[in-house]
Amino acid sequence: MKKKLLSTVVLLGTMVLSACNVTTEDEATTGNTNNDQEAVQIDLLGAAADEKDLNILRDQLTRNGFEVNVNQQPDYASYRAQRDAGNFDISVASWTTVTGNPDYAVRSLFTSDGDSRVIAPDSEVDELINQAATENESEYVNTYSELENVLVTENAYTAGLYNSLKAQAFNKDLINPESVNLYKSRAFAWDTVQFNDTSLNETEPLILTQTESDLTSLDPIKGNDGSINQLNTNMYVRLVNLTEDDTVTSEASLSYDHAIAEGNTDYYFVLRDDINFTSVEDGQAVDTGERVGADDVKFSLERASDPESVPDHRTYSLHEYIDEVTVVDDMSELEDATVAEAGTSVKDALEADLDTSINSLVTDKTQADSAAGNYQVVKLTTTEPFPQVLNYLAHQSAGIVSKKQVESINTYDIENFDINTDIPYGDQRAVTEGDTYDNHLYASGPYVMIEKNDYAATFQKNPAYMPETDNAAKIKNVTVRFIGDMDSALSALRSGEVHLLYGLGETQYQVVEGEESLELQTGPSNAVQYLIINTTNEDRKTAQSEDLRKAILYSINQDDFIQSYDGQKEKAFTPVTPLVETGNELEADADLAQEHLSNYLEQSEE
Amino acid sequence: MKSYKDTLAYKQIEFSTGLSLIYTGILLFAAFDFSPFTVRPLIMILASMNGVATVLQALLVLKIRKNSKKVLAINSTSRKLAGGLLLSLLIGNLFIVLSSLYLLKKKLTTGYIYAVYMVLTDLLVIGVSSLNLFKAYVTNSFIPFMFLLLFVLVFHLVVLAGYNRIEAMTGIIRKVFLLFFAATTLVGNLFVLFVMISLMQRTDSETKMTRRKGIREKIIRNQASMLGLLFIVFLVAISICSYWTFNYGFAVTNDYSNILQSPSLTYPFGTDNFGRDVFSRIVFGARISLTVGVLATVIPLLFGGALGAISGYYGRHTDNLIMRFLDVLYAIPGILLAITIVAAFGASTTNLIIALSIGYIPSYARTMRANVIQVTNLEYVEASRAIGNNHINIIWQHVIPNSLAPMIVRATLTIGSAIIATSSLSYLGLGVENYIPEWGNILRTGSEYLETEPYLAIYPGLAIIALVLSFNFLGDGLRDATDPRLS
Repeated sequence: MKKKLLSTVVLLGTMVLSACNVTTEDEATTGNTNNDQEAVQIDLLGAAADEKDLNILRDQLTRNGFEVNVNQQPDYASYRAQRDAGNFDISVASWTTVTGNPDYAVRSLFTSDGDSRVIAPDSEVDELINQAATENESEYVNTYSELENVLVTENAYTAGLYNSLKAQAFNKDLINPESVNLYKSRAFAWDTVQFNDTSLNETEPLILTQTESDLTSLDPIKGNDGSINQLNTNMYVRLVNLTEDDTVTSEASLSYDHAIAEGNTDYYFVLRDDINFTSVEDGQAVDTGERVGADDVKFSLERASDPESVPDHRTYSLHEYIDEVTVVDDMSELEDATVAEAGTSVKDALEADLDTSINSLVTDKTQADSAAGNYQVVKLTTTEPFPQVLNYLAHQSAGIVSKKQVESINTYDIENFDINTDIPYGDQRAVTEGDTYDNHLYASGPYVMIEKNDYAATFQKNPAYMPETDNAAKIKNVTVRFIGDMDSALSALRSGEVHLLYGLGETQYQVVEGEESLELQTGPSNAVQYLIINTTNEDRKTAQSEDLRKAILYSINQDDFIQSYDGQKEKAFTPVTPLVETGNELEADADLAQEHLSNYLEQSEE
Repeated sequence: MKSYKDTLAYKQIEFSTGLSLIYTGILLFAAFDFSPFTVRPLIMILASMNGVATVLQALLVLKIRKNSKKVLAINSTSRKLAGGLLLSLLIGNLFIVLSSLYLLKKKLTTGYIYAVYMVLTDLLVIGVSSLNLFKAYVTNSFIPFMFLLLFVLVFHLVVLAGYNRIEAMTGIIRKVFLLFFAATTLVGNLFVLFVMISLMQRTDSETKMTRRKGIREKIIRNQASMLGLLFIVFLVAISICSYWTFNYGFAVTNDYSNILQSPSLTYPFGTDNFGRDVFSRIVFGARISLTVGVLATVIPLLFGGALGAISGYYGRHTDNLIMRFLDVLYAIPGILLAITIVAAFGASTTNLIIALSIGYIPSYARTMRANVIQVTNLEYVEASRAIGNNHINIIWQHVIPNSLAPMIVRATLTIGSAIIATSSLSYLGLGVENYIPEWGNILRTGSEYLETEPYLAIYPGLAIIALVLSFNFLGDGLRDATDPRLS
């Protein structure tokens, strides 16, 4: 009986299995069998935030004959420690060109003396970068294209992964959608935003969020990171601004207009007379009566370019091209200097859009009076011809601070500076509620910070910031809540606790689109995720073999990244891609990867 | 007077009716699509068939209850109905199959009951593995291994059907048969071992008139803990069988053309944000969750047990020294300690196990110490000491065996929390590498898509809940079985 049962079941089983027409793995994958060459061990480094990218890379490299050892560090600091120590073969990294010009990207990352250099020093790269810096927008496309080829195609020092979109979502029932701008490089500006019901502008605070609650410094030159970029952008006015698509403009800035003199080394700015510094008294923003003038501009830009001006200066490398800032008092200088290409005088160029033409130049800022034609003009000289300097002046670190106030606060001796006893200008302790509160901020921008704690920072409009113009801030009070995690921040937005959320992730788009009261804005950004192939640490096998680097390079398939991010990414060849249309593109090529890998294996056996 | 209502079979059939009702309810819920409101015909048919089976089962319960007043056995009509209800296997209702198999046997023995569970485990493993047939391709060893599994199932069915005859076997045939039978444990079906023990004990019990019932025999009275045990054994079996029946590639290789697919026959639990099959990931994840859970319980059980036994037996300074040291360890929250250890030494499975184990040592030591102090003062230990036995012998022969029961119960109950801790650490990104399928990892991916693709979080979540509940039920059953007041 047992045997009978057994044979019946076996027979039945065979029938079922054959009826299903089962394909085994070998049958399904015939033709693309892996060849038997040994797998090359490779260390891939990244932070926990890059988990998705690490996984895609691991997968792609594994398919191309690598054995990937993923080193995922729990936070950015420990990731950076590993990266700086050179403990990796390849590392995922991200770069955002906050100034909107290509020089900043390549200078920091790829020159021999770059402040965050990721490749071995290469004189060819240095030359190309310096050449491109002196060129105009129309000329530098070819130079940057050549640079990209040297970096990627020829040497495989680095490889782009993708270019991210920038996104923000806000409550459109409450906020007027037309008043909200999304800038490609510039941080979110609050002054234009207004409520649908304009009567609320005076009474209701605009509630925003940001992730970091620990603010690096409210002194513009002492920080360049996510914790203060947006805050300082709105607290300090600059000589020029960037538009939504990264063009330099004088719109809503301290200057009425600017002009570049022939030779690309002299830059002239004619200043407004309707911005005063604001300070905080009894929890309210008040007009100090002190005008933002040429002496403040001179002071701010000189300290920005001088690494010794303050302890812990974090942005001088952005401003190293500034040679001299002078207040122009001689009208003939403006008349004699000519504007590049146009051939007209600088004076004509500066006057073009002024209501009253320039009658006299004043050095004392209190004497300036635009209606009477008494203007202040600032001249900035660069060390070399460098048209992109204007982008740096639009960056938050070039924000204008009060000479008088900063000098009266920063009385410490720089040599013996002690962070525990000295409170420098912009230190967050001065605005944190509690014993240390002593708000010494003098804001030149549309808003000033009243106070902060671990959960939120409150701001109030500067009453003396271009009053009677369209540029004056619309909403009186702004609260920035510190919510450490984007998912919680999104929940806060949906529940109405927060009015606007800046910098959403791709997975959150769908949720926002499903919510009727929310509007999603997306636009291009300069944030690029790229791969560092280790050439800085001589002991690493990637530094020793170009073939190995190229094998890695051609294993990367950017299409996979884009697909996995639901199409919300763009291809990127290098960090320059979103800034200059070089037309270069990285094509995955398994055969080429295999060829280079075989070469590498042959060489290493010898 | 004793009635049939007090028998195990009756309790089981009542229990099964309830579960069957829940199962039908879940199917019914799954049959509707709420936005827009549509009915999935296939699932609806399955649900209604289960409904019919449940109603029949309920009628059977009523009938037996009515008859039980007169006789202590069930009549042949009930038995035939139960036989017919075996067909509910075809509609996936294992609960009714379970109780019907109970009813079909005139005299229920422990071995037979375990044999029933053994066959159910085989069925579950085969059923779950055969879902791979809907994939584009199966792993190379799939077909031969499925035949092996079918063969084992048939063999187990034979054991179940002819249980009494096999019990009666003697001599060399019996030895060969038992050896062969024991070999089938290799597919991971631990119930085979329980059946084996019953078959072996049969001979022993003939010599001894009254034998105290073991834990294994007592626990069958607790249906919930048997269900827990079934799920655990099933997971062990599927973890082992998945080496040959599941394709690891589907669980770890990214497939960008199939990202975030909804559940279907090809992808029973859908696909995640890298196009990996969540079902395969959960199956492979069981292996890690179980291993880490069990190891993170066994290690502190051994170390904590040893420290507790020493400090409890020797007392005084030894006790003080060990326990105060452990108190220091006890003062640090377990999960915090684990996070610190993993953060310091890097995320890997080994570190994870060590990290979790250390945190659990003090609580085991305390339990063991309390038991040992109690046992040490008993007369038989004193007697042993009086006849000059040395300490080591006393500890090994008398103290440890008599204080082990609460430790086993405790271990079973803490496996659950160890599994949760594993998943929590993986969820925080501190557990195993995140591409490796582990339940916490899968849940973490799912949490990002909680609103848009909820199934990504629901299924791994359910798996964790089911496993932890199973261990808790089993622990409960073990506690009852070892409690002298309840026997």
